[in-house]
This record gives sequence, C-alpha cells and structure tokens, in this order.
Amino acid sequence: MTILHSRQKLTLANELIYELKVKDAMTREVIYFSEDATFREIQMAMKNNRISGVPILDEKRNVIGMVSIDNVITALDHDYVNEKVREYMTRDVITIPQNFSLVSAIKKFEKYKFGRLPVTENSHSKRIVGILTMGDILNLLLLSIQTIAEKVEEKEDRNSQISEQLIEKTQEKPLRFEVKKADFDNAGRVASIIRTYLQRLNIDQKTTRRVAIVCYEAEMNISIHSLGGYISVTLEQNNIIITAVDYGPGIPDIDEAMKPGFTTASEQIRALGFGAGMGLPNIKKCADQLELESSMETGTILKAVIRIGG
Amino acid sequence: MKLSQIVDHCSLKEVVFLSDEDIKNGYCGDLMSDVIAHADNESIWVTVQAHKNSIAVALIKDIKAIIFTNDVEISQELKEKAKEEKINLFKSEKNSFQICGLLYQLLEGKYYQD
Repeated sequence: MTILHSRQKLTLANELIYELKVKDAMTREVIYFSEDATFREIQMAMKNNRISGVPILDEKRNVIGMVSIDNVITALDHDYVNEKVREYMTRDVITIPQNFSLVSAIKKFEKYKFGRLPVTENSHSKRIVGILTMGDILNLLLLSIQTIAEKVEEKEDRNSQISEQLIEKTQEKPLRFEVKKADFDNAGRVASIIRTYLQRLNIDQKTTRRVAIVCYEAEMNISIHSLGGYISVTLEQNNIIITAVDYGPGIPDIDEAMKPGFTTASEQIRALGFGAGMGLPNIKKCADQLELESSMETGTILKAVIRIGG
Repeated sequence: MKLSQIVDHCSLKEVVFLSDEDIKNGYCGDLMSDVIAHADNESIWVTVQAHKNSIAVALIKDIKAIIFTNDVEISQELKEKAKEEKINLFKSEKNSFQICGLLYQLLEGKYYQD
C-alpha cells in the first residue's frame, strides 16, 4: 500500500487542476430553459432535479441568461413567480470554455461565488456544451488521484519482485549468450537483448539500465581481452544475476584491473573508443555485489548481483 | 528543447531523423565506457565514433540522438542499425568542441533580459 503524505497529495491535486480540462469534469446533460419559461416551471425543475441554478438558452443553444434559486425566491417574494423569466433573469452570465484548465474554473468560482458555470464550445462561442460545479471538479480530482494511486501500487507490486513462475521458467531455459573474440560489431548485442527482456518484465528503468551497463561492459571485456566466452543472466525473486565467463587467458592482477583508467587494450581497440580502463569500475559501480575470479589457466568468471529496485 | 531546434541552430546534416524528441541534456565523449558511466539519460551525444557499437551505447543510456563530428564517414550498416533501434543520427563538418559550444548555449546557456 502506498502512503502519500499530505504535502505530496496537495502537490498532486495542484498538478492535476492544471492538467485536467473543464470538459473532463463537466456534466454534459444540461437542464435548461428558454426565456419564455416561468419562474414556477424552473422552480419545479430545480426541486425535482435538486439543482440550484439553470441556464437560459436561445433556440441555437447559446447561453443568454441564468436563473438561480435566489432569483426564484425573489420572484416568490415579489409575486411574479408565474411570469416569464425574460424580464428578470441575470443576463450578465459568466461562462467558461470547455478547453480551459480546471484551475481557471476554480478561480472563477472563487471570484464570482457562483454555484455553477455554463461551459461553452470555445472562447468565441456562447453555445453551451455542459455545466460545471465545484462538486464535478472534486469528483474528477478524487477519481484521478485514486487511479494514480492504483497504478503506483500495481507498478510497485510488479517491479519489486519477479514471480515464482518466471523464475522457474528461466531456470529451465537460462538466458545464455555466446560472446566471440574481437567481435566488436556485434558487441552490445547481449546488453540490448537483456534490456528489452527486462523492459517486458516491467522491471524499473534504473535497474534495467544497471543490468544493461554490466552486460555491455562484460561483453566488451570478453570480446576485447579474451579468447571468447559467454554471458548468462539468471533471475531470483529480488535479484538479477549476471555471470560472464571467458576461456582465458585470465587477469594477472585483479586489483590493478579494477583501477579506473588501467588498461591493457591495444592502440587499435582504443581508437574505436573501447579499452578506456573503465569497464570493471563501471561494473562495480552498477552492481550491488561483485565477485571476480581469474586464473591464468582457465580464464575469468565475473558474477554481478543487482538488486531489483535497489 | 526540440531536436529540430538543435539541428537548425547547429546546422546539422540529417542522417537518420525519425522523431523530433525533447532533448534536455548533452554529453561529449569518444570513450564508450566513459559515455556509459557519465552521460545523462535522454540526452544528445557528440562523438567521432561512428560505428555500430555507438548505437548499443545510445540504447543503454536512452540517448535520443547522436551527432557525429569532423565529418566522419557513416556506413550504410550504421544507418540501418540506427533506424532499427530508433536512434536519430546527425553529422557536422564542425569538430566536437564547436558543436558542444553551440549545444551548451542552447541547453545550458542563460540569457538575461533587461
């Protein structure tokens, strides 16, 4: 369960009111009347539909006035409740275009203290397409926040662990890639395949990138410095393990090889931009755990463990 | 900053231009491991290393576009690979220093008005 702190919640709502549009929140079914309607008719409609104001439209559905519950009460008071609204309605109507952001609607509500705003087609038109209340805005905000929270939760569930099923599947058929000696053209292939694979598993971007960097550097090391080898990737519930094995000739001094800038690569290889002496340091930086074993007889085994989301 | 604005400002030649990405950062380097270690994600990369491996590096770092400087030759194979992996490629007869100067103005430069 994700707990959003109140400050964060506020920021989220703030962001949302800038992103969301009036048309996302508005009610599209509008109860409206013509200027020939009487206050009595409108009063009945308000009572039946539990609303506190109705727009008055012309035959082209343009907003020409507004009748609020206050107007109805005044009409009752002054005994013209059975007359047409034409002479009495508010003609100076504040409207809002449907493409405006919610923040501009909220500002209008605050400024004019109206309960509802008729929504128009665009800023040059008075044609009504919906009606907006603060309640509509709050409803949409709550709905959006809930959707976001659900997504976050779902993502957390998926990203922090790999399912048992998948682990079994990869154990049956491990991801194993041959890496050939001096095959620079194809180098980067393993990293690229693994990257796509982890993306499909919905592993978070940061973890995926760390795994890709380890694969890339290990791949380059095998192809530059060894007679060839392979890279295998295995999955555990919370970890991704990369094993890079080569068939020799081995690293004479591992401590030295780990030093940034130390390289034994030839001039030709360095001209291609490889062999900068940063491969192993880069791997070390990305891995949560690194084991390196090398023998001048059998070759080198590198094992890097990367914690998912770590 | 839109990629197309960068192309205009730096007078780059389009080699593979697939999508007008939003570019926020830049990096310059010819050592693959250095780029892998230090380039920001989703940036534009200035280099003379025009070979297929540059695409692999770009992919790992989510680099959106590469500018090859010094008018280096770009093989057909490299272009194909870039298209396949959706990485934008540009070239320039200017050197990396000159291109970086222009890029820096665009991405990091601050203009004070008044």
